[in-house]
Amino acid sequence: MAFHGASVEFDGVTKRFESVTAVDDLSLSIPEGSIYGFIGPNGSGKTTTMRLITGILLPDRGDVRVYGATSSSRQLGSIGYLPEERGIYKKMTVRALLRFHAELRGVRKAAAQADAWLEKLDLAKFGSSSIETLSKGMTQKVQFIAAAIGEPKLLILDEPFSGLDPVSSQAIRSAILELRGKGATIVLSTHDMGTAEQMCERILMMFRGKKVLDGTLMDIRDRYGNDTVRISAENAACLAGLPGVEQIRDLGQMQEIRMARDADPQALLRNVMTRTRVDSFSIARPSLEDIFIRIAGADSLVDRLEAQSA
Amino acid sequence: MLIAKRDYVASVRTKAFLVGLLVAPLLFGGSFLASVFVKGRPSEQARRVAVVDATGKFAAAVVDQIKQQSLRDGFDQHTGVRVMPPYEFEIVSPDASNPDAQRLALSNRVRDKELFGFLEIEATSVEWYSNGGGFGDVERWLARPVSDGLERVRLRELGVSGEQLNEALKPVPLESMNLVTRDPKTGLVVPARKRGMAENFAAPFILAFLFFMIVLSASAPMLTAVAEDKAQRVFEMLLASAGPFDLIGGKVLAAVGTALTSSIFYVIAAFALLQVLAIVGLAPVKVLPWFFLYLVAEVIILASLATALGAACSSTRDAENLKLITLLPLVIPLLVLTPVLQEPNGVFATAMSLFPLFTPLLMLVRQATPGGIPAWQPWVGLAGVVVATLVISWMASRIFRLAILFQGKTPNVAELVRWGVAG
Repeated sequence: MAFHGASVEFDGVTKRFESVTAVDDLSLSIPEGSIYGFIGPNGSGKTTTMRLITGILLPDRGDVRVYGATSSSRQLGSIGYLPEERGIYKKMTVRALLRFHAELRGVRKAAAQADAWLEKLDLAKFGSSSIETLSKGMTQKVQFIAAAIGEPKLLILDEPFSGLDPVSSQAIRSAILELRGKGATIVLSTHDMGTAEQMCERILMMFRGKKVLDGTLMDIRDRYGNDTVRISAENAACLAGLPGVEQIRDLGQMQEIRMARDADPQALLRNVMTRTRVDSFSIARPSLEDIFIRIAGADSLVDRLEAQSA
Repeated sequence: MLIAKRDYVASVRTKAFLVGLLVAPLLFGGSFLASVFVKGRPSEQARRVAVVDATGKFAAAVVDQIKQQSLRDGFDQHTGVRVMPPYEFEIVSPDASNPDAQRLALSNRVRDKELFGFLEIEATSVEWYSNGGGFGDVERWLARPVSDGLERVRLRELGVSGEQLNEALKPVPLESMNLVTRDPKTGLVVPARKRGMAENFAAPFILAFLFFMIVLSASAPMLTAVAEDKAQRVFEMLLASAGPFDLIGGKVLAAVGTALTSSIFYVIAAFALLQVLAIVGLAPVKVLPWFFLYLVAEVIILASLATALGAACSSTRDAENLKLITLLPLVIPLLVLTPVLQEPNGVFATAMSLFPLFTPLLMLVRQATPGGIPAWQPWVGLAGVVVATLVISWMASRIFRLAILFQGKTPNVAELVRWGVAG
């Protein structure tokens, strides 16, 4: 089966667990050699989507292709997977565990690769230690190596930075970027919008099993337009109820205002200046976090759209 | 293969495996030696028996016969060491007016351990009252001298003299022999050998015990091990690199490797022991290939079951509760071992040993009995075992595939069967 630049393709994929639809008619295409971010609230279907990519789960409907191959014809070992629910054989030594994972993936010179990775993530002196003696952060780094060893073409990382200190986070971030630099495709799930913004070339947001966003960060921000105004004013209370103001988020030192569709920020500025002293005023594109909250927050955009269409 | 290697190394490197390898036969051998030791050193305290003779003519003869029998059976023929406590008697006059009160009084003396028991002799029957327990050995032993005593009195009444009586009632030993065979090389008839208890029971029993112990040690820990690995979420990461069938296959292969390792150790040790005891001829060498064939099949069946059920458990406590189910194909044959060995070619033994889940252990012990079994039966049994092994391991792999990521609740039996059949 030929494949054309996409490492992973979903075509109308649905996965149900009894009465729950975890993934609902999902279509996506992950470009080869990119870092692709999965965001979405808990229970939105990210992990199920990742399990569908790895072939651990099979779709009830639709096709999943990885490098052009379906689950049944897929060659095991081409995917490295770091699940969110992490578990490894705790009685094994670090080096033996990494060799085991490398050999499972068909890696030659597994021992040498294990040592190189341990060196890279500053774990060389723990090679002979049993996993159960390591700290949580060190164990997490070992798990990352177990997923990345052998430099798989596709590396799927479910929350790779959760619980890590900044130094370890940076080490893993560098390793991910290095792998991407060598041509690997990275699928990354994260709750940290800052990480998604900084690292991911494309972002997929899932909500209740459906795809609600898919594109580059620029595309997504463009789609949500220049409807955000940050304003620092002497009397912030006077902003409430002004024409064109749809929502106010208090950021502490300033207020973030979401403008109503077709409202004019200049008119708003003039209006505010008649009521209070304005220290700063800027028109901004919404942050990924803001978009996330708009879609998945209490006043969910999806709910409003569904209510309108109903 | 890698998964099998990892699991095999993890299994045989544990202290539990090494300790179990040495301790289990020691425990078994120890308990066997202890029973021999206890049997060989009976209580020195005499067994006092009251005899109530309603006829007034049998008591003396019965007591005499029991004493003589006690002299014959009470000492080891070779060493002269006492192997049975001596018997003492008191003749009690029957209380014809209130026999129940007399029985109660004597029963109370038995309860107070003044008496071992009491015999009540009527013209046509004899009753033995005792505190019970055991396997009826005392009753079986007493039956003969009591009957002899009565027969002697009756024959004497018919005019048979004392010498004639001894001659007529002289015990005749019964020798148990194997069947006569023809040597296929020389064509000559090979005389039968005498058969002892060791050959009838010891060899099949030891074989059954070895089989049980090896299969148990290889497959029983798998259920909790898989449940633990599932609870620690070990499998999800592996599943991206190895399919579920590879995982279960590797685990089962590791169990087979563990079983073969311990079986080779035990077989060599057993032969060495028999050599030392100079009874190597008793070893059931002919069934050894069958032993290994059945062993591999049984381990595959039980390890597949254990792995599938372990994957279905949501906690190690659930796994402990399910353990017995996976061991039933081993435990049930052990429970019926005695009747099977008493009549190895009977309908019950044949039918039980042809049921595929019980075939490995029961067919094996039947094959190890001196008389053997019809040649077709092990092959039919093996065919059933192969089919059962394939079906069970296939269903287990389907259950494993679905159950391994199923968290939060242990599926019920109906769900497991549905997963196994429908996938």
